[in-house]
Amino acid sequence: MRRTTPWWKTGLGLVLTALMLFPVYWMVNVSFTPDEDMRKSPPDWFPVHGTLDGYRAVLGQQLPYLGTSLLVGLGTVALTLAIAAPAGYSLAKLRPAGAGVVNFVLLVAQMIPGIIMAMGFYAIYLNLGMLNTLPGLVVADATIAVPFGVLIYQAFMSAIPEEMTQAATVDGAGPLRSFWSIILPVSRNASITVGLFAFLWAWSDFVFASTLNGGGSLRPITLGIYQYIGNNNQQWNAIMATAVVASVPAAVLLVVAQRYIATGVTSGAVKD
Amino acid sequence: MTSSGTSQRALGVALAALVAVGGAAGCSSSSDGTAGAAGGTYTIWDPYPQFDGSSDWVKLLTKCGTDAGVTVTRTGYDTTDLTNKALLAAQQGNSPDVLIVDNPVVSTLAEAGVLSATEETKLDTSAMEPNLLGAGQIDGKTYGVPIGANTLALYYNKKVLDAAGVDPASITDWAALNAALTKVAAAGKKGITFSAIGTEEGSFQFLPWFWGSGAQLTALDSPQGVAAVSLWTDWLKQGHAPNSVINNTQTTSWQEFASGDYAFAENGTWQLANAKKLGFEYGIIAIPARDGGTAPAPTGGEFVTLPVQKKTDRYAASQKIVNCLTSNDNLLATDTTLSYIAPTAVVQTTQVAQNPELKVWVDAVKAAKGRTGDNLGTKYPKISEQLWKAVQAALSGSKTPQAAMTEAQSAAK
Amino acid sequence: MNTATQTAPRDRGASTPTPSRARPGHRRAGGGTGRWAAWAFLLPLAAYLLAFYAYPLYRNLDLSLRDYTVRSFVQGDAPFIGLTNFRQVVGDPTFVPALTHTVVFTAASLVCQFGIGMALAVFFHQHFRLSATLRALFLVPWLLPLIVSASTWSWMLNSEAGVVNALLRSLGFGSVNWLTSPDWSLVSVIIANVWIGIPFNLVLLYSGLQGIPPQIYEAAALDGTTGWQRFWRLTFPLLRPVSAITLLLGLVYTLKVFDIIWIMTKGGPADSSTTLATWSYQLGFGSLLPQFGPGAAVGNLLIVAAVAFGLVYIRVQRRQGGTA
Repeated sequence: MRRTTPWWKTGLGLVLTALMLFPVYWMVNVSFTPDEDMRKSPPDWFPVHGTLDGYRAVLGQQLPYLGTSLLVGLGTVALTLAIAAPAGYSLAKLRPAGAGVVNFVLLVAQMIPGIIMAMGFYAIYLNLGMLNTLPGLVVADATIAVPFGVLIYQAFMSAIPEEMTQAATVDGAGPLRSFWSIILPVSRNASITVGLFAFLWAWSDFVFASTLNGGGSLRPITLGIYQYIGNNNQQWNAIMATAVVASVPAAVLLVVAQRYIATGVTSGAVKD
Repeated sequence: MTSSGTSQRALGVALAALVAVGGAAGCSSSSDGTAGAAGGTYTIWDPYPQFDGSSDWVKLLTKCGTDAGVTVTRTGYDTTDLTNKALLAAQQGNSPDVLIVDNPVVSTLAEAGVLSATEETKLDTSAMEPNLLGAGQIDGKTYGVPIGANTLALYYNKKVLDAAGVDPASITDWAALNAALTKVAAAGKKGITFSAIGTEEGSFQFLPWFWGSGAQLTALDSPQGVAAVSLWTDWLKQGHAPNSVINNTQTTSWQEFASGDYAFAENGTWQLANAKKLGFEYGIIAIPARDGGTAPAPTGGEFVTLPVQKKTDRYAASQKIVNCLTSNDNLLATDTTLSYIAPTAVVQTTQVAQNPELKVWVDAVKAAKGRTGDNLGTKYPKISEQLWKAVQAALSGSKTPQAAMTEAQSAAK
Repeated sequence: MNTATQTAPRDRGASTPTPSRARPGHRRAGGGTGRWAAWAFLLPLAAYLLAFYAYPLYRNLDLSLRDYTVRSFVQGDAPFIGLTNFRQVVGDPTFVPALTHTVVFTAASLVCQFGIGMALAVFFHQHFRLSATLRALFLVPWLLPLIVSASTWSWMLNSEAGVVNALLRSLGFGSVNWLTSPDWSLVSVIIANVWIGIPFNLVLLYSGLQGIPPQIYEAAALDGTTGWQRFWRLTFPLLRPVSAITLLLGLVYTLKVFDIIWIMTKGGPADSSTTLATWSYQLGFGSLLPQFGPGAAVGNLLIVAAVAFGLVYIRVQRRQGGTA
């Protein structure tokens, strides 16, 4: 902000981003490609003989699922933050005796294969009658992000200088107040990071959605893709078109969230 | 106690009578409402997620349910997902009333005790072609009814063959096919594409060559078995088949064929609808056996099954639904939608009358055999896994065909 | 070791000055509530872990210690067979290659992801025009369901019609059988996995960089250190806690990656890209006849590996805490 930004950095940034996003571009390219050109050798670099078949199929059938995905994603973010932030605070600042054990369990928890988790949830939900419900899927999806969230909060919060909380304790603030009015605002970056990943994981989850919400009308967009993966036949342009349609709203959300991180930090949340 | 017992039995007899009447009358008469006695909601799972609520398939399910006096809730699952889902549901005592699954899975589910035998549920399977029914039979019991069948054959690109001077009718054995591939290569075109991916799909595509060579699944390392692997391996070495086949699914391989560069593609009945959209003229020939004649291809397609229920009185309505789904008219409609060949001779004849192009497929289905047949049952999955691994090892050049098959045989035992 | 765990927090607790002598009653309550508060804050997490992880974890252990067939899976009467599944798995000819591939896959993925992620984080940390937007775009790969991104990679790496080979050919190189040659398949899945992992590393390391107070850099700038020195002497050490957790989480996630490999190569050809995770899936769900027992046993071996690395992490963290 202070100096004039060198143009070459923007240029290099553009090149790197283009390189990184090439596979995404390729996905878009395939989404426009008619069946007979899909395995043309060499492939077309641009969808010159493009078809909108894929998009026609998707827009006709998939749009309602986007809403479900969005609700599940946001619900997962809320639940993850609600559970992970206090836990991270406790482990990083209050240090209860069993902290090591909790960390240990968190690590093990992340290693349980998704499909085994899904099988467990299936048994639990069947008895609770929570199959094919939004809250059910939110709770399940949050299991991917909660251990991650706790570890991240812990790592970030332990870096917060002790003096900040001590000052509050001097003023007679209890743990709840120092958590709510000091630690949490300062940990905004961690919150956004955790929230971001919770959202992304929930958005792209397939295993839970398929096991727990496969039957109902409350299906997220990732299951919609499976509509084009038949027993013997896959409609690749429709699959890729679904992925494109699914990623556009989320990508917009990401860009907005990222701007927010940038301003959040420069506005001096961390400065003391 | 006694009185309630007798009254229950009386009710049972009455229900059985109703079922018998319903069965005889088919699913056409339900307007009298007597069938409504069973009532309730019945769940159906199928591997056709491509069909949504507005499709003919789901409408048919709903109608068959209504005719049986019950409400139907249907869920379409991805086919690879469905087996696990069915096992999991059975474990939790939550099996669907009607389950439609891929035929080689039937023996696994039956072995798991998930499926009820047709003897118990009184499903009539007499009209079904025996070679198709075979995939659902273990130890003399039948665990479902085929709803349609598909199998593999060779699609060819007429333009490429004409340019190379190959007459498709002349391809009746492996030597003729190899000669044709050499001519195609000389004409500057690509030979043949298929799918040799490391899944059941790869074994499915390899079996016509394996069986066509005279090999048996119980002896993978027989000279005939090795000859079949060598046939594919040599195609790759000579450039008659692309290297990508090792990772090709049947869809990928079809896309390669659709590019118009390939003379042949090994693919299934289900591609017929897509074949019409090809930008070139195509034809279909049966897969040749090594020494001439048609090679037995494996049967594909699904079975309608009735999973075990704690409340056995539910079978009555489920049975009506299945009878409705497999009635001649409905089979014709369903198999036309799915691009399948019907499992009964009567409907097969109607299909060919309606669309003479299907003749080659009906013949192929008649010559086909079930993978889990020959009483292999749950031994088949183990053998198949070793088979696709061996084919991949040989094609990728990490083992010779002989070594690959010898190892496969010892691992499959 | 145990005593260290116990004393370290207590020491800190004791050394925390509580100067408000004016309210002794409050102070005593504070000590008591401190412990209670710590657990109160942990309570939602503990409840969540107990409710939703305990059962699956027990299930996974149970699966690996019993002789499950499809029948006993459904009927729930599988006999207990102790470590037989583990013995069977370790003695299997696939075990050694799978283990080797897991080590190579994990190490190569981690090094590349972390290195590239760090370089990008430092690069994007300099505020230049569009930096925030471009950084956000780097996350787009994360939005794609894995089936789509992995399929796209296998599309691009296809031997015949893949765009990568088309590029190589147009540059005058020969084409490479990325996915179908036993020599290349592992490399290909590593490339795809690194691509998928970069955003994760970038975001975590970037937020770590954001947490470093700018004053530190300003002081260093006065000392006349070069950019390179500044990175090694200041940024890197200050980023150590975030780096450690990034690497640890990266390790855990990389160990359990199976879908990318599964979609791209199915672990083949000839097991050349099979890792423990794909093998576990292959055993449990990859064929028509599931072998739940051995599949779960391989899965549990992975859990043990992750726990071992976790212990290393906790030790390193404690040592750092001690010296700091």
